[in-house]
Amino acid sequence: MNNQFSIAQRVGLMFRYDQELPQDMEMWIKAQLNAPSPALGIANTYADVAEWPEKLQPDLSQRAHLWRRYRDLKQQQREGKNGQDTEAAKQANRRENLMRKKDELKFVQRNIYGADQVKLRLTAFWANHFTIGNTFDTGSTIGHAIDEGILAKLNGSFADMLYGMTTHPGMLEYLDNVDSAGERSEQAKHCRRKPDCQAGLNDNLGRELLELHTVSVAAGYTEDDIRNAAHVLAGWGVWFDEDLSAMRKNTGTTDHWNAYKKRWAEPGTKKVMGKTISGGRNGLRQLTDFLANHDHTIHYISSKLCQHFVSDAPTKAQIEAVKLVWQQSDGDLQAIHTQVLKLAMTATEPKFMWPMTWLFQVVRLSGATYFKGWNEIYEYQDNLMDSKEVLEELGQSFWSSRQPNGYSSDKEEWLSAEMFERRIRFADAIYQNGRTRRSVNKIMDRIGATPQTRALVASVGSSPKDQFIALMCSPELMGLNYV
Amino acid sequence: MSKLTIDRRSLLKAGAASLFLAGMPVSGLAKGKAAGRICVIILQGGMDGLATVPPIGDPDLMRMRKAISPENYLPLNDFFGLHPALKFYAQLMARGDASAVHATAFPYTKRSHFEGQNLIEGGGLSPFSEKTGWLGRSLDLAGVSGRSLSLDMPLILRGHHDNDNFYPASIRGSGRPSSKLLEKIAMGHDIEAAQVFNKVARKSEENIQVPRDPASLAQYAGQAMAQANGPLASVIRVDDFDTHANQVYQDNTDEGPLARQLGVVDEVIAGYRRGLGDAWDNTIILTLTEFGRTVAANGTLGTDHGYASVGLLAGGTLAANGVVADWPGLSKKDQFDQRDLMATIDYRSVCAACVEKTLGLEHDVIASQVFRQPDLPRVFDHLFT
Repeated sequence: MNNQFSIAQRVGLMFRYDQELPQDMEMWIKAQLNAPSPALGIANTYADVAEWPEKLQPDLSQRAHLWRRYRDLKQQQREGKNGQDTEAAKQANRRENLMRKKDELKFVQRNIYGADQVKLRLTAFWANHFTIGNTFDTGSTIGHAIDEGILAKLNGSFADMLYGMTTHPGMLEYLDNVDSAGERSEQAKHCRRKPDCQAGLNDNLGRELLELHTVSVAAGYTEDDIRNAAHVLAGWGVWFDEDLSAMRKNTGTTDHWNAYKKRWAEPGTKKVMGKTISGGRNGLRQLTDFLANHDHTIHYISSKLCQHFVSDAPTKAQIEAVKLVWQQSDGDLQAIHTQVLKLAMTATEPKFMWPMTWLFQVVRLSGATYFKGWNEIYEYQDNLMDSKEVLEELGQSFWSSRQPNGYSSDKEEWLSAEMFERRIRFADAIYQNGRTRRSVNKIMDRIGATPQTRALVASVGSSPKDQFIALMCSPELMGLNYV
Repeated sequence: MSKLTIDRRSLLKAGAASLFLAGMPVSGLAKGKAAGRICVIILQGGMDGLATVPPIGDPDLMRMRKAISPENYLPLNDFFGLHPALKFYAQLMARGDASAVHATAFPYTKRSHFEGQNLIEGGGLSPFSEKTGWLGRSLDLAGVSGRSLSLDMPLILRGHHDNDNFYPASIRGSGRPSSKLLEKIAMGHDIEAAQVFNKVARKSEENIQVPRDPASLAQYAGQAMAQANGPLASVIRVDDFDTHANQVYQDNTDEGPLARQLGVVDEVIAGYRRGLGDAWDNTIILTLTEFGRTVAANGTLGTDHGYASVGLLAGGTLAANGVVADWPGLSKKDQFDQRDLMATIDYRSVCAACVEKTLGLEHDVIASQVFRQPDLPRVFDHLFT
């Protein structure tokens, strides 16, 4: 590939079929990091690209309202009240009040039509780092976390992103913190006197905060550290469908992103990995700030960034270069990203593309219209699957129910016949149903395909469909090695 | 049903015997042709052994986890019960076709899912020390192949070039690719990716329609394994065992996540039984989980990450029935780290015995070349004779 496309593949989503190519790629990357990020998409499959309507992008309190409404109507449906037990009413309830399908389509459309491709790739990296798996209850918050907790915070500090994601209602529900209570909390004391009352610690988020989000197991923390971190976290979060007056009573606010229940909190100071953390609401920020700047965190996440953008097996020098910038900039993400992307630009060996990244790149290069518009979310179309179905079939979706360690960036984890078969099938489906705007030859010329890729395409015969599949599943487009 | 509790001494004896054997010359890799079939069900998230096979005869059980214990468990003997969701499995036990190994674990005590999952699949001496899996290496030594019923190729099966995976696609508006096209694409890739594309080509010849629920996949796997040239091993994953909260709901419309997932495991075993047909007689099914959970309930009607759990075994080759355990007790002083069920049986030994029985490898070969632990105790006789 030529310089523009090989860099756009590694750190972005490829230039769209009709996009003008930048001359200076370093300048381009710099501009990309500060590119505006409107949620671009299409209203229907024949519409022009436009920004998603505001009413389909509710804020957190509107989302909570929709979720409460959904649960209310669902309850009425169970009780057979107010005509809610008809199929039509059930369907209307799902369509009006659930967010997952809308958010997932918006994410996919952004990645296909967005002019902020580098930010979108960084967003995918961090959304994966701070995985919130689907537990149904989190279906209405995952999209918000990705937009407001990650994309909107890409140019701030890692410490801010960490605190934001740790306290996000999606994370607090996914890793079971909303019911966790300190062992000496008022709630736990109160419960001890009542036979049917249960309140105590749940260490799920405390453990993953250390293991996955910050210092990693290499730091050698103890079970006590995990327990103490869980005690710092105890009290944070309420269920997303909590009644607002109860929420106000317990937390003093109706802001779900800042909900701290004093009654559930563990009183007094705690010690985590040698650091003393004060009691009360401010303790968590002390803890996340301490973890954000810990040497083990810096090493672990610098390595992970390199593995995602630079190489399956990054060198020590590459990792050290990122660590140095992290330390010098006090964890400024824009500086860290700039360094990682600089390393990625000069990397020579191929970097395997995630299934979803590859799919977005195929669609952008060919100018296909493979996903429905936002007005068509609930319309069945014979040959265009829902974005939810597409990502599920591919084996990679931020809205799937999955483990908190997220998807691996290591090629080894993706070498599977079924996974590869899906690439073939989607290349086929996109060609047959996506009304592609560019022929295989045009695409190869534009990206500067290598002689090996051209030879592979030529070897499959004259069927344009087979040629399209061969190109998109070539080592060059998948980020693999030639013979 | 007889209570088959083996004591610590007999296990130590088993260990000593294998130590002795380790010094003997190894005659050959395999005893002969692989004689059986092996199915592994990976229970992801850390299955709660104390709720799955509750030691109801242990007075500490109810004291420490009354709030989360199922009330209607099925009694196996004076000491152990079985979770009510395991209905089919209970029938197998009654017939002598199933057996549970309790208070068992891989030697991993740090309670991380991801390290634990890597270790139980890789089967090396520490997490992330192996690029291949213990079942993959076993199959490679035996020269036979296995199949995973999943979209990905799990670590446990990596290590033998012929192993593959199966997970039916559902992609509208696309056709099955021709094997000719796939072979051409494979030729453009390096050997590693070419092997994968060639497996796609091989698969494109078949046209298999199977629903994607675990029980249907298990039935399909059993059928494939029963065929003359079918795979002799298979792997199925059941997730969602990480029951930190509301392990048992009080609400009678929903029995909670553990009952739900154990119900899936029960259906998977039943699916295998249906699919295997007569091949059941030389098959062993075993479960595998990264760790058990805390003895005491936590503050949210669940349990946190622990150490030992239970392994569920089924199949016509089993000689043991009931529960095999060297019960460590549940009191604080008997617990690991004063919080978890102690492990008294190394589950690698159980896996090794299943490999020995079905793939015909010598224990010492399995111990040293599969599990990298030449002195791994041999527990074969406790399960198969």
